[in-house]
This record gives sequence, structure tokens and C-alpha cells, in this order.
Amino acid sequence: MTAYWLLPPLLLPFLGAPLTLMLRKQPRLQTAISLALMMAALLSSFALLWQVLMHGALALQLGAWPFPFGITLAADLPGVFMLLMSQIVLTAGFLYAAGSTEKVTRYPAFYTLFFGLATGLSGAFLTGDLFNLFVFAEIIVISGAALTANADDPFGVEAAYKYFYISTLAAVFFLLGVGALYAAYGTLNLADLARQIAATSPTPLALAGLAFLATTFFIKSAAFPFHFWQPDFHAAAPTAISAMLSSLVVKVGVYGFLRLTTLMFPQIQLLQTLLVWVGVAGILYGGLGAAGTHNVKRMLAYSTLAQIGFMLLGIGWGTPFSLTAALVFAFNHALVKAAMLMLAGAMASRAAVKSASFSVVFGVGKYHPFAGLLFLLGGMALAGIPPLNGFTSKLLIFWSGIASANYLSLAIAGVASIVTLTYVIRAFMKIWFETNPEAKPKTGDSLLAPALLIGLSLALGIWAAPLVNLAQVSAQWLSDPQNYIRWLVGNG
Amino acid sequence: MNILTALTIGILFAIAMYQMLRRNVIRAAIGLALISNAINLYLFSMGAYNGVEAAYSTAIAQISDPLPQALVLTAIVISAGGFAFVLGLLYVVSTRYKTSDSDEIEGLKH
Repeated sequence: MTAYWLLPPLLLPFLGAPLTLMLRKQPRLQTAISLALMMAALLSSFALLWQVLMHGALALQLGAWPFPFGITLAADLPGVFMLLMSQIVLTAGFLYAAGSTEKVTRYPAFYTLFFGLATGLSGAFLTGDLFNLFVFAEIIVISGAALTANADDPFGVEAAYKYFYISTLAAVFFLLGVGALYAAYGTLNLADLARQIAATSPTPLALAGLAFLATTFFIKSAAFPFHFWQPDFHAAAPTAISAMLSSLVVKVGVYGFLRLTTLMFPQIQLLQTLLVWVGVAGILYGGLGAAGTHNVKRMLAYSTLAQIGFMLLGIGWGTPFSLTAALVFAFNHALVKAAMLMLAGAMASRAAVKSASFSVVFGVGKYHPFAGLLFLLGGMALAGIPPLNGFTSKLLIFWSGIASANYLSLAIAGVASIVTLTYVIRAFMKIWFETNPEAKPKTGDSLLAPALLIGLSLALGIWAAPLVNLAQVSAQWLSDPQNYIRWLVGNG
Repeated sequence: MNILTALTIGILFAIAMYQMLRRNVIRAAIGLALISNAINLYLFSMGAYNGVEAAYSTAIAQISDPLPQALVLTAIVISAGGFAFVLGLLYVVSTRYKTSDSDEIEGLKH
């Protein structure tokens, strides 16, 4: 019966979508119910974490089909870790949307699509089936693109079109991979696939499947050579949504790589080496790209490119320690990047013209010192300065690099990460220390959500032990794929 | 029959890719529809010739694999929804930019 704890974090957002659509005539009620549902989902994912820590991995066979045939929902600790990260940030996103002045949040289906995004994210981290992962990824893509197409930004439609086009290509690659793996092994259940791949040496067809899946996840995580759509899309999306896209949606690709390198194809070293160098390239390119932009939101989108590079680096090194570091990095980055994008959006909403471009938003911070404090703290977390949580993540990455003796990639990443400090400080100086005669005291988006997220990242910076311990246990689970397989086959 | 199916799918992929790379966004959208159909055929062909009877039949020995069929059904629904969404986006894009040349839809570059 404990397996039913899997359902609420997925079903609550899923039910939220039609419910909010029915309530489209009562916007206040719609907002209140959305917030309540999302908070309930957050609480239920904490409960799920508790159950998984108590009883081990949970698996639920939908429709009561026997083990490898039906759709499996599986909650192991790494999956629940990612789920918890996404539910926390999603709740903050709903909170931000509730206090937002953007026109798009008054759009009747805004919360419906937002719940679509939440369902897709929760589902992607909880599914134990490759094709099911594809379906949830498509839900994320469609809701994200529809929300961006409705953005206040006049170029939202163009950004959504480009994103949807490139994501459909990613979906094509995904299906090619699914087809190749099914033809090779006759199953799509992750645990069953892992068991069969481990039993035999991979056939050429399975390797082709791996290549297709890796391409998909590179596009989804917007890693370096596949990133070209990402800054456009993340900068044009509505603030509450761009915070989710840049902090959570790209993590689906990272999560895919976690499963590929640890569960499905742990013996393919080439993929891990590739991840390391793609990660390093992303750190370099993302840092330099962020330093050269003229728009705060765009700068933060480029910064995501660099931070995803750090996570891929940790996954590519592949030791339990570096996997811990990658997980902690993913969690901390989600909190901080969401908060920073919300702050950028909140400042843009207080500017004379609503835009996050430096030429408009400079000097706006004069009347908003509290937002400035939050932005400074968030920037310090991005750059990895104590006592913020970003320090913990970077420290762990560097430590694990030294422990696994990957000095070359570590050195390049270390040098490139200094750039973070320059662009964050530049943005801070421009918004809070330049004088702009057009800046007037003006109310805009509520600062509650970013304040909570920054508070959480400060707390996790000072008291990092629970998060790091949780990530460490998750990494142990990841390093022992037999354990996952045993749990699923046993419980199925 | 296998070779014929493989050739058909391959040619469909080739046409779709050629269309997707054209500058005209409407042709590119048609390429998108074609490539989803190519991929559906590809998924379907994974289990197309393994049996001759429907899955609910009692002739166990000749049952065809129902999973690719279920996958294709899902993929068709998703690709149809996606194509409708692309057409909707294209309508807004073309009325806003007054062009169908993808090189002129470049508002984000500035």
C-alpha cells in the first residue's frame, strides 16, 4: 500500500489542470486553488521522500499489469530528490505568478498550462518507463511553449515557435532511440532494460539507441553545442515561467544523463568522457556569453548554460562523490536561478518600459534596496561565495574533481567559473548603483517568492548537511543500479 | 516486404528533412508533420511483421506485438496536437511579421 504515496505528487498537479480551466471565470478563486494544490503537492512529495527513506524504492504498476508490461511509476531516492527540487521551485513559481503584474497571468488558461508544466516535471522524475518519459517531456514542451507564446514580450511567439520546432526534433530523436532499444531488447521499462543490457554486451542497435537518447538529452538540457535556442526562449518567457524553464526544465535532460550513465549504460565510458568535455565547453561558453549580454534575463539564461556544464562535469566524472556534487549542484542551482530570474523580472516590472534590457532597467533599483540585497545574495550564490548554498555546490564539485584526479577539466572549469562573479557584479552595479532619471518609485511583481527562495538558499548554505547527506545517499543508489533493478523487479 | 518498408520510411525521412531545412516556414512545418509520420511508421515497423493476429485473439502463436501499436497510437496523438500547435503559432507569426521567410523572422536578434 505504501506504493500509493507515489501518486499524489503527480496527480495533484494533473487534477489542477482541468480544475483551473473550469474556474477560469473566477480568477481569484483560481489563483487560490492553484496555490493550495501546489502546496499540497509539495507536502505530498515530502511525505513520499519520508516513505522512500523508510521503506526503500517504491514502484507502482499502473493498471495492475505484471512487471515489465505495464507502465511503471518508480520512486527511488535520486528521482525523489529531483522531484522535491522541482516541487519546491514550482510552488515558488506559483507564488510569484499569484503576485505578478504581468498580463499573461490573467490569461484564463495560464494556471492550467502551468499545472501542465508541473505534471510533466513531476512525471518525468517519477516514471520508470522510457516511453512514459517521452510523453511527460512532450507535456513539458507543449505547456512551456504555449505559455511563452502568450508572454507579454512581443517576441514570445517567435521564441515559442523556435523552441517548439527544436523540441519536436528532440522528440524525433527520442523516439528513434526508443525504437532502437525496443527492437534490440523488446522492453522499454528502465529496470528491465538495464537488466538486459547488463546481461549482454550492447549490440550496435543498442548503441545507436544510446546515441539518439544522448542527443535528445543534450537538446533538452541545452548543453553547449545544442544551446542555441535556450537564451532566446528563456529570456522571452513570462517571468514566473522562465524561472521554471531555466531552473527545472533543463534538469530533465540532466536527469536523463544520470539514468543513462548510471542505470542503463554504465559500461560505456565514451559517453562519460563526452559529458565532461561538453560540460567544460558549456562552462566556458556560458560564462563568456553571459558576460557579453545586454539583458538581465538573457544573462541569467547564459549562466544556466554554464551551470548545466558543472552538473554534466559531475555526472561525467562518474564517481559517487562527483554524482553527489552534481545532485547538490542541481538542487542549489534550481533555487538560486529561479530566484534570480524572478528578481530580474520583478525589476523589469518596475522599470519605465517593461523590459529586462540593461538600457531600460539600469538605476531602477534605487527605490528597491531590499530587492538589491536579494539580488546580491543570489549573485553570490551563483558565483559560489560563502555562506550561500552555491559555495557548497562548487566546493563539492572541485573536491570531487581533485579526488578523482581529473585536473585538466577541473582547472578549465575553475578558471571559467570566475567569470560568473564579473557578470553578476556588473548586473548588480547597473541596476542598483547607476542613476536613471526615468526611474520612479513604482509597484511591480511581489518579491515574496524570490525572498523565500533566497532565504532557503541562505539556510542551505549555512546548514548544508541535510541536503548533502540526502544527495550522498542518492548517489549511492545511483552507483548501485542492481539495487534499483532488484527493487523494481521485486516489487512488481 | 521488410525492405520495402525500410525504403519507404527512409525516403519519407529524407523528404521530411529536406523540407524542414527550407527557409519557408510553412514548408518547414510540413516537414515537421512528415517527420512525425516517418517516425510513427518506424515505431510501428518494430513489431509489424512478428505476428498476424490481433493481440486479443486466442491464437497465441500468431499474436502480433501490441506494444508498438500502443506506442504509435500515443505518438500519433502527440504529433497531431503538436502540429496543430505549430500551425497556430505560424498563423500568429505570419500575421505579426508579414513574411514566411525564416530569415526575416529575427526579432529576437536585437
